[in-house]
Amino acid sequence: MFFIQQLINGLTQGMIYALMAIGFSVIYGVVGLVSFVHGEVIMLGAFTGFFMIVFLDTNIFAALIAGFIVTWILGMCIDGVAYRPFKNAPREICLIMTIALSIFLRSLTQVVLGTRQQMIPDVFGNKYFMIGDVRITYIQIFIAAVIVILLLALQQFLYRTRVGLSLRAVSMDKDAAALVGVNVNNAIRTGYALGCALGGVSGVLLGIYYNSVHPVMGASASMKAFASTVFGGLTSIPGAAIGGMVLGISENLGVGYIHSGLRDIIAFLIIIAVLLIRPSGLLGRKEAGE
Amino acid sequence: MKRLLMLIMASVLLLGLTVVGAEDVVKIGLSAPNTGNYAEYGENFRYSALMAVEKINAEGGIRGRKVEIVVMDSKGDPREAATIAQRFVENPDIVAQIGDFTSTACLAAAPIYERAGMVQLSPTSSHPDFAPSGEYMFGIVGTQAAEGPFNVKYIAQEYLDINSVAVIYINNDWGVVTKDYFVEAAEDYGLEITACEPFFEGERDYNAVLTKLRRTNPEGLYIAAMYNEASLITRQLQNLGWDVAMLAPSSVFSDNFISLAGDAAEGLATNTFFALNDPDPTVQAYIQEFVARAGREPNLHAACAYDSTLMLAEAIERAGFDRAAIRDELAKTNDFIGVTGRLEFTDVGDIERRYKILVVEDGDWVVKADYTK
Repeated sequence: MFFIQQLINGLTQGMIYALMAIGFSVIYGVVGLVSFVHGEVIMLGAFTGFFMIVFLDTNIFAALIAGFIVTWILGMCIDGVAYRPFKNAPREICLIMTIALSIFLRSLTQVVLGTRQQMIPDVFGNKYFMIGDVRITYIQIFIAAVIVILLLALQQFLYRTRVGLSLRAVSMDKDAAALVGVNVNNAIRTGYALGCALGGVSGVLLGIYYNSVHPVMGASASMKAFASTVFGGLTSIPGAAIGGMVLGISENLGVGYIHSGLRDIIAFLIIIAVLLIRPSGLLGRKEAGE
Repeated sequence: MKRLLMLIMASVLLLGLTVVGAEDVVKIGLSAPNTGNYAEYGENFRYSALMAVEKINAEGGIRGRKVEIVVMDSKGDPREAATIAQRFVENPDIVAQIGDFTSTACLAAAPIYERAGMVQLSPTSSHPDFAPSGEYMFGIVGTQAAEGPFNVKYIAQEYLDINSVAVIYINNDWGVVTKDYFVEAAEDYGLEITACEPFFEGERDYNAVLTKLRRTNPEGLYIAAMYNEASLITRQLQNLGWDVAMLAPSSVFSDNFISLAGDAAEGLATNTFFALNDPDPTVQAYIQEFVARAGREPNLHAACAYDSTLMLAEAIERAGFDRAAIRDELAKTNDFIGVTGRLEFTDVGDIERRYKILVVEDGDWVVKADYTK
């Protein structure tokens, strides 16, 4: 029963990691670059959820939608500042811009919204049900449902719409996509905004699951997203999801059975192991020349 | 030629202004986390120190000079604290330093202040190794060496009447030493410790650790963490449906703790020497002014920062502006009564505190027992 309980904890955490990782992976696939500001995007999504629930007193669905929209817009702005002006410049410039934006957004949030942790009350009133000795809360079910629905929607979007097609084309080969008439700049902006919006929703879910938001919560979120994506393959969305689940479950089992100091170490160990054994990740595409 | 003359006159004027400005001021350095994970605590330091300084200046300053606080942000990072220490000691205008918040940062900066011979007066470092680490190191919050046994004997055994406790602690200098003193005192007093599990700073998901501790079936849980982490722990305890007695060291005492933890905090017991409903008029005046400035009630840390500043100012008044003389006068402090009580240093620069028991009841902190008098 202890094992099952730890497994349930791990699954819930894993699903949130999976969503963060999927956003990250969409960005990497379409833009071709790691985004160091993803943690802060997640944090701002969480704060949007906080405002909606605590100050505007709306329900959870409105909070999720608001989180999605706000971070979509934020993603478009970041693209305008960090990627679009530098599309012909060395790629390092974009990486440094995202690092700079990460520091900027984190500090700006602390200045504008205060430095303190803020509380989000229980949206489901801590209701749960028991299966034997194992306790599953309504929030855990809700989070699982939201993530599954989002994944299905994402799949439909990517494989059944023209915009999704353009994103996939750009992620495969930018120049070839341009040659066949895809507007690459728009695709990059849409892809980036989509990745950020998924991150924003995962931020809202983090906020309601842990009942707290804090301006510095982005750093560890970003590291977990990165580790999950590396594990699953930087360009593969299903891989990122699997990576997130594996990370969440192994962290919880590691903490439960071995030592609670291991939590963050496991994420790093996974990155190291993957890079040594199979650098393209579990389901990633092998790059040309490998 | 004319332009050169104007330039020279302007620089002489500016120089004159700065020299005139500098004469009238005595500077005290303040190193605290203004940003980062512990930013709220640094803010409390700042509000309290500025309040104290305004009070001193309104009463004529120190030996006729106005006091100025030079604030630098340590971000809660020991490396930053060390860098700040370097800058403070190299500035000849700064005569002493107040700070830092975490024991880790204080310990990191201590060798620098010690070598340069500048006082580091920490309002909140409760690590027993800090004050003894140097002649110039002082701490006023009391150490875990006193809190641990108090938590075991008076809170766990007498007030809560339990026989077994599990410990969850933050894995940094402060957390480890707090756990160590608690466990050692538990052995001395015959309280069973069923398990001890650490977590790292910044952790937000405690479900795995709490599930693990729950398996060992303790009657109580000792939460050695700062109040933002402790609030998450109590919430997750509630989510797990684990009905266990909760106790914690004084680090959790703050009105933020109750607003963050909600009703999950009901029944948690901790110790303090600063209570918001203290009838003493000086304490109440301090609380009201703090609320007016900061928009929230002060906690133990804020009160200690206030007392530190006033205490240091009195030492400078007696000693003059020489850093070594200030240190000697500070060590000799023996009739200072601040908002946290009567303060007198031990030989190593610590204060031996006595406590009251505070419990969360109906969403408020209630004093249940008083051992300070």
